[in-house]
Amino acid sequence: MTFPKVSRLWFGLGLIVLLALPWLFRNPYYHLLGFNLWLLVVTASAWNMLSGYTGYKSLGHSAFFGLGAYLVAITAARYGWNPLWSAPVLGLGVGVIALLVGWVLLRADGSAFVIASIAVLLIFRLLALNLRGLTSGAPGLSQPLPPWSPQFSRMPFYYYMLGLAIITVGVSGFIRRTRFGLGLFAIRDDEGKAASVGVATNLYKVLAFGISAYFMGVAGGIWSYFQGHISPIFTFDILNDVDMVIASMLGGLGTLWGPVLGAFIIVPARDLILFRFGESQIHLAVFGVLMILIIVLLPNGIITTYRNRRRRRAGRTSAFAGARTAAEMTEAAQKADQSGPEKPVR
Amino acid sequence: MLVQVLLTGVLTGGVYALMVSGLSLIFGVMRVINIAHGAFLVLGAYLSYWLFTLAGVDPILSILVIAPLFYLVGVGVQRGLISRVGGDAGFVVLLTIAVAVSLEGIMGALWQSTVRTVRTDYTSTVLSFTVGTMPLRVPLVRLGGFAASLLILAALYLVLTRTRLGRAIRATIQNPEAAQLVGVNIAKVKATTFGIGLATVAAGGAMFSLIFSFNAGSHVEWISKMLSIIVLGGLGSLPGALIAALLLGAVENLSAVVMTSYISPIVFYLILFLVLVFRPQGLLGTRLRKS
Repeated sequence: MTFPKVSRLWFGLGLIVLLALPWLFRNPYYHLLGFNLWLLVVTASAWNMLSGYTGYKSLGHSAFFGLGAYLVAITAARYGWNPLWSAPVLGLGVGVIALLVGWVLLRADGSAFVIASIAVLLIFRLLALNLRGLTSGAPGLSQPLPPWSPQFSRMPFYYYMLGLAIITVGVSGFIRRTRFGLGLFAIRDDEGKAASVGVATNLYKVLAFGISAYFMGVAGGIWSYFQGHISPIFTFDILNDVDMVIASMLGGLGTLWGPVLGAFIIVPARDLILFRFGESQIHLAVFGVLMILIIVLLPNGIITTYRNRRRRRAGRTSAFAGARTAAEMTEAAQKADQSGPEKPVR
Repeated sequence: MLVQVLLTGVLTGGVYALMVSGLSLIFGVMRVINIAHGAFLVLGAYLSYWLFTLAGVDPILSILVIAPLFYLVGVGVQRGLISRVGGDAGFVVLLTIAVAVSLEGIMGALWQSTVRTVRTDYTSTVLSFTVGTMPLRVPLVRLGGFAASLLILAALYLVLTRTRLGRAIRATIQNPEAAQLVGVNIAKVKATTFGIGLATVAAGGAMFSLIFSFNAGSHVEWISKMLSIIVLGGLGSLPGALIAALLLGAVENLSAVVMTSYISPIVFYLILFLVLVFRPQGLLGTRLRKS
């Protein structure tokens, strides 16, 4: 079951509003905010496809974000490839590399997987710092400016990322309905049992890793074009992963809309925190404390917690299930009263 | 030349051994990889830097102040945060990362991003002597750091082998359920272990402030180094971690000479990745599997 169930009408209306927003709010600052919002929707949803669905929590996933960013920046600077079409194409390359990395990495699980995935990110970062011929090292790479008028500079990026976000969430929702998606959930719940009933767990995990990395790579590529200049330290940054993890967990790990909801909360919150505390590094501490609070107080996220609460409330009145009219309800209540000991109220 | 490189490496490795002993102990007892260990290391270094610049306390003496302080912090963090997060090991790792990020923010705000180090009167003193025909040069701070680390590790060893608490800790490492059955208060052992773990890293941090330079962001690089050490040694195995610390201290010094020092950290990351994936039990240690 998808949650909440979105009808076509609402989807259409919502889309029109999202398309109109940049024209209603002309301030470029809002376009930046919107771009960042859709960017986090893409990366958090992509992260969730792997880590939410299979339970393998990767903290090095921005390795593929950074790889996409660098591939796009290098091909743009050397061969003049336009990032708008090269990002989704080069994303395939990122996906293939991710399949290879995932094939090795996914032999580890639990905490070992988390740590090994961080090691992957650090290795990529070190390579970006040291392969100077390709990446020009620590100072980073610049890209040509977009050809369109600077007046609109951010608007096309907003639409591009919005489109990518819709595709990513669509793919994420599609995966949930397939045998493949069921297999991923089975891996999360109990990998050993899943394998014993015939789920090709290794193949499924690696595929999920590759698909997830594809979207990370495309998002990274567009991000690098948007930035105009990228450097290893900020491109391969574990804080990017922290953002995705917080967004997914806050919304609801493993749900379809959780990462989206999380991104809608995190991006404005992050902006506010940066605005209030940005001049010192104390904003990092605020992020950290926020993350601690989410993990300790709301580990299941908003959507899952809400859903469980609703289900519990439904369970409490289960004696009335199926009763349509008041008379039937009374009858059911009387029956419940007569029949044996009271059920414990949860 | 080679002997000189290896000697310096092993001396550094002794300090590494102290730095990772707590990390290994915490994993052994709680099955928790404490990513915040690097941030606590740097915090310890900052505190001894502070004590040195503001009050003129020698970093090695400052251990007497900051180690007990860190013990209390450790007990608090374990009781207040870590013990509240049940279930998936991944969540606990995320929690310790959150702690690390918070600490980095606080340290960055307090001490800015300037790279600091403690410079005492004896910082640049170098002892030189000859073994046979080979002239060897040893910086005094590295020798002192090595000696102090060995002393603290010996004390830790005595606590673990000769006291009731040590027995309870070792029993919990071997089998938590069985330990609980024979009357070990697991919750208390876990909190105490976390405290001891942080106390050792505080001592490591004091030594660290003498030998290395650091800023708030350094913890990322150091936690990777420390993780690759305990992973290579075998998660949860203290002797394994100590051997791996000496080994990697030597390897690091060697690879900095063979390759450039820019790329040499890749040795650590590759060890971390390859060992976790292909031999999760490390040199000496138990397999790190969900069930």
